[in-house]
Amino acid sequence: MAAYHRIIGASTINTSIDRANVVKALIGAGFVAAFFCVTAPAVAQDCPKLGGVIALTGAQGAVGKVIADAGKLAVDQVNKAGGVKGCQVEFVIRDDTSQPSVGLDAARFLVDVQKVNAIVGLVGSGTALSVVNSVSIPNKIPTIACCAITPALTKMAEEGKTGGYFFRTIPTARSMALAHAQATIDKGYKKTVIMYINNDFGNGVAPDAKKALEKLGGTVAAMVPYAENQPSYRSDVTQALASNPDSLILIGLSQDATIVLREWFSLGGTQNVVLHNTLRSMDVIRNIGEKFLSKAVGIDNGQASGPSAEAFAKDFTAAYSRPAVGPGLHTMYDAAAITLLAMQAAAKLDGPSIRDALRAVQDPAGIEVGPGVDSLKKGLDALKAGQKIRYVGATGAFRFDKNGDVTGPMLMWKLNNGEIQTEKTLSLDQMNALEQKAGL
Amino acid sequence: MLSYSVFFITVAAILAIATLGLNLQWGVSGQFNAGVVGFIAVGGYTLAVLTIPASQQLWVRLEWPFALALLASLAVTAAVALLVGLATLRLRSDYLAIATFGIASSIQLLANNLEKLTGGSRGLIGIPRPFAQLTETIGTPFGVQGFAWAYLAMVLLILALVCAALQALLHSPWGRVQRALREDEEVCAALGKNVVRFRLTAFILGAMLMGLSGALYVGFVGATSPSDFMPILTFQIWAMLIVGGSGSNGGAILGSFVIWGLWTLSGALIVSVLPPQYQAQGGAVQSILVGLVLVLTLLLRPSGLLGARRG
Repeated sequence: MAAYHRIIGASTINTSIDRANVVKALIGAGFVAAFFCVTAPAVAQDCPKLGGVIALTGAQGAVGKVIADAGKLAVDQVNKAGGVKGCQVEFVIRDDTSQPSVGLDAARFLVDVQKVNAIVGLVGSGTALSVVNSVSIPNKIPTIACCAITPALTKMAEEGKTGGYFFRTIPTARSMALAHAQATIDKGYKKTVIMYINNDFGNGVAPDAKKALEKLGGTVAAMVPYAENQPSYRSDVTQALASNPDSLILIGLSQDATIVLREWFSLGGTQNVVLHNTLRSMDVIRNIGEKFLSKAVGIDNGQASGPSAEAFAKDFTAAYSRPAVGPGLHTMYDAAAITLLAMQAAAKLDGPSIRDALRAVQDPAGIEVGPGVDSLKKGLDALKAGQKIRYVGATGAFRFDKNGDVTGPMLMWKLNNGEIQTEKTLSLDQMNALEQKAGL
Repeated sequence: MLSYSVFFITVAAILAIATLGLNLQWGVSGQFNAGVVGFIAVGGYTLAVLTIPASQQLWVRLEWPFALALLASLAVTAAVALLVGLATLRLRSDYLAIATFGIASSIQLLANNLEKLTGGSRGLIGIPRPFAQLTETIGTPFGVQGFAWAYLAMVLLILALVCAALQALLHSPWGRVQRALREDEEVCAALGKNVVRFRLTAFILGAMLMGLSGALYVGFVGATSPSDFMPILTFQIWAMLIVGGSGSNGGAILGSFVIWGLWTLSGALIVSVLPPQYQAQGGAVQSILVGLVLVLTLLLRPSGLLGARRG
């Protein structure tokens, strides 16, 4: 960029030069410089390289930056534990600016020019669709999403069109939906209204929650979708209240769900609410008003319980001086960590080997390996010695199913004297049984 | 590197077709369309819905071949543009901008909500990509797959055809009337020109090019979702036209390559220059850089890189 600015400087001083030519020349020079800067370090290497496509700016930028940090933590820890295949792993993060076409370009660049062996990240579902369909599948690049939950990718995997190269560490919408339904049934609510945000996230969870709830013996009074980023949801709340429900399932992000709940309580809505994991933070709870939420129950991935989750939370806080709270942190850490373990386990660093190794490092009979430098080192050493391992991540125990999706344990939480407490956990087995019962 | 270049040129050329459409509407005819992305979305979704396998359980299960669907997306975009054009007939400049912006947002919301037609917010994937059977790599050791070459050739051919046709139009009597309309509508009306018809045809033709661009993009990627069609794309197309040179077809194409290159390669540049601990902040630097170059270009070349020759 230095050359670039010098040329601009020259053109402002020496106005006798034809400006058109100067501008053309400087843009040309900029591009040539850009290409050299970028391609120079990208000579052929045998060391593993991990690519990240993460929204650092744009609509998802607020959550994306912290997600990138969580991914970096995993790579740093693996490097401290000795690295993969005797190398320090390079983690190249590209910003998709929350725009799928930019994310697609970034993924292409990572694969074609920087020769990464796998891609992790993918915050938005739109970016995930583009990247998986036109980079991961044709180029055989294992792609492990931290946050994209669109069911379209599950459907594609079911039709056998992903070649098995797509994975995600975020539990599918299905697990969330089941937990919502079970929490509602546990509380004995009979007539529930489901309010949900009208985007890929809400539309992924809400219909399954309705189906599951009806199968488990509840009734759904109404389904009320609402738009993102609105200053008020009064009309949506009024519509929901008109169905005369005895309870509310709210599937939204923290910002919009806070507004919905405030208006819900101020318009006389019941305090029998079932909340999503996006509200599981005391900051958010205080914003809504703690005294209205004494009967509230919430759901979440079974992640906060268990030593592996605590290990991650401790390391994250130590590294970035902030609590490990927020969407996508735990799943991003797991996506990066399990991919690096799989690279170590894979015989070769090509797509099919890493793809198969991603399942191999979840061997139920293997040595348990979790977050943290020491535990990762144990895992890497075991793999070097030809032993089998089982990765138990920041999100707790999880397993990729045949579509590359994850079913995981879930938990239910409640408020008790200004603290968030775990009320009940649903183990992996219980979740599978529930899935059968709900017919999903 | 070559493989990425083929990809980059394909995408930039597809965007250039939309920029040419905007140039026809704004640079030539002087109509302020702030809803470019709406027409891109109509074209893209038409192609997606008409070609997608019936197994997706949507309302439309036609599985048309690509070429036929491409023509259909032109027709559908034209129909939508006609409706929009008629509805906004009496609006000028900033009023037209606000109206078209609103229409584009509505189209995006429709795509987000008409789940049985567009797949809704979960998006569509598995849209058949033409030439997909050409999987063997041509030009090894560079490793560029055959379908990438074929698609690039098709897009460049279409771009060349569109550009030649627009160039001919621009220098025809029709083009002269359009430019006169841009400068002074009342004089044109006084000379007996049918202002309404001239404005509408330029608007529809421009929108059809945007629809074509959307269809080609969706056919290239093979997946789409409402987040592909956010207002930022309208801004990008406008930036391409303004930096390239409003009123000039060559400028529109050059601007598309320059702005898209800046948008994407600046990210790659930042990643390779920034020290690892600041990588997560790279995105912000990228936005600043793009903005800086836009402002500098406008300061140094207010009429764009290849500014239009007036008169």
